[in-house]
Amino acid sequence: MRRIAVYGKGGIGKSTTSSNISDALAESGLCVMQIGCDPKADSTGLLTGRPIPTVLDTMRDNSDRTLEDMVHEGSNGVLCVECGGPRPGTGCAGRGIIAAFQELDRLEAIDVYRPDVIIYDVLGDVVCGGFAMPIRNGYARDVFVVTSGERMSLYAANNIATAVKDFRRDGYARLDGLIQNSRGVEDEDSLIDEAARRMGSEVVFRLPRSATVQECEKMNRTVVSGAPDSVMASSYRELAKLVYDRSENISGGLRFDDCTGCDDCE
Amino acid sequence: MSNVFHPRPNPIVAAMYTARDMDVDVIVMHGPAGCSFMASRPLENAGVHVVTSSMKDSDLIFGGAPSLERTLKDAKERFSPRTMAVIGTCASTIIGDDIKAVIGRVDLGDTRCFAIDCHGCLENNTEGAIRALKAGAQAGIIPKEEADRQTALLKAATALERKRGMTVRPYLSPAESPTKLAVCRRIGDILSSGGKVAVVMIAKKELAYRFADMFEAVDSARRELGGSTFLVGNLDPDKGLPRIRGYCRDIITDLEAKGVTLDRVIGGLDEYAVIGDEIHDAVRGYGPDLTVLLGICHSYPELDEDCILVTDQPRELKNYLDQGLTAVGEAGSHSMVMGATSIVTLETAQTLRELIG
Repeated sequence: MRRIAVYGKGGIGKSTTSSNISDALAESGLCVMQIGCDPKADSTGLLTGRPIPTVLDTMRDNSDRTLEDMVHEGSNGVLCVECGGPRPGTGCAGRGIIAAFQELDRLEAIDVYRPDVIIYDVLGDVVCGGFAMPIRNGYARDVFVVTSGERMSLYAANNIATAVKDFRRDGYARLDGLIQNSRGVEDEDSLIDEAARRMGSEVVFRLPRSATVQECEKMNRTVVSGAPDSVMASSYRELAKLVYDRSENISGGLRFDDCTGCDDCE
Repeated sequence: MSNVFHPRPNPIVAAMYTARDMDVDVIVMHGPAGCSFMASRPLENAGVHVVTSSMKDSDLIFGGAPSLERTLKDAKERFSPRTMAVIGTCASTIIGDDIKAVIGRVDLGDTRCFAIDCHGCLENNTEGAIRALKAGAQAGIIPKEEADRQTALLKAATALERKRGMTVRPYLSPAESPTKLAVCRRIGDILSSGGKVAVVMIAKKELAYRFADMFEAVDSARRELGGSTFLVGNLDPDKGLPRIRGYCRDIITDLEAKGVTLDRVIGGLDEYAVIGDEIHDAVRGYGPDLTVLLGICHSYPELDEDCILVTDQPRELKNYLDQGLTAVGEAGSHSMVMGATSIVTLETAQTLRELIG
């Protein structure tokens, strides 16, 4: 199973990119689960076309819950999960991410659905322990950062790279590279190349600027499903293949480094 | 159901005591220095070292990993333990400290160290114990079968409290115990008139060291006054973790030295929640005029006016008294039995001795 996390500054196009990668991989016949890790719970909207109940809301409201209450099928059968979180200004969203993952683990989501790929779509900066959860404890193995050439976007990308490196020593995730989501900034390619070099990484793919993305968003669909014959759709398919090929296939459950010391383990 | 809002046992403490039962040498609590302070002190009397990572405000802000790392190194150096358990608390859990990763970073040599994922906001305190057992089994400290067995018993204990114990009502105030004089007179009167007294101990773990004192007191009262007795306790030395089995052997040896033999031994010291019916059957076969119950009294299915209940829990006492039952409290028992290796004097037993003697 491939466990991939997509990070990046808020509003940079993470969810659009993640959803199109998921959709393209599912279209090619793979079983894909996309887990949105943003309290706004808007990661999978393009795949489902509607808001879905979040894991945390379900945990709070439904004591007889099952996986079916939290895992919802989107386009091409992508398994969509939204962690959700507290209302802005209350509670602790980071704790929410941790609790949501533990709940999926408790209900053995991976044993039940057996996905080939899990895509984590994670909120902007790695502001606290909770938002680092996907890149810790063996949840995600491969991290891609979506960025434009804008200064704040590159700044966020750098913070994420630093966090990934910090966790790397515990044997967790690794940074696979940057995905450029072009915004028409002057000298954008070279700006991002330079930033990637400074963080010891590289740009693995450049998504062109395209009006098709907005048109499909208006229809609440991914480009892959909403405009399947467009140039942009081919671009996303190419990116999906690259992300898939670059990421590591490791056995295990929701986490790849689960206990190996007892009889329960293989 | 309305919310139960009197203070109740803590999952972190349950995890610590379970680590003790698994014969862990050092317990590291990753949290504030004062977390579970009252409960961790007596653990040291039982031979377990308890230390904390002493989290400060800056740990909450910047992460507690460095403090934990330092604590693990210090504990290793000071105690050279065979086994070490690191228990999470609310503080470290909320900020998402990765205990397992920190353990991996420290060179602990031949010390077996494992993390127990725990915090104070778990649904039931027994969940802390269950998580400790699971972690212990995964670390190879106890067999998986034993962890599964204990987990089932803990779930039964939670169900028992909900059905007949401390979580029956939203609020129970701690009750002050009546003096033990009236209940001891009653025991004496029944024996003097040639009646039958059953002494039934359904104790939770180490508390047996104190409740078992009643066996000797009633037995010598019988010798002095006449009548008959039936002594039954959950002291099966072949049930549970090694430490708990040791308690049974200590107590039985001590009773034998005092010339007291139990009529029946039913269940182990961790089976208090599931042996009520079997003990009840045995006692009914004897047909006593009076039954003295010790420990988790509400595990016994038929409590009535012919019973005397002895509990160490002030809120459980309130629960019993409110039901019109005859009950006395032995408050503070827990701290008295920590680290005990022979029977500890019970006030009710002592009162009976004074009354007869």
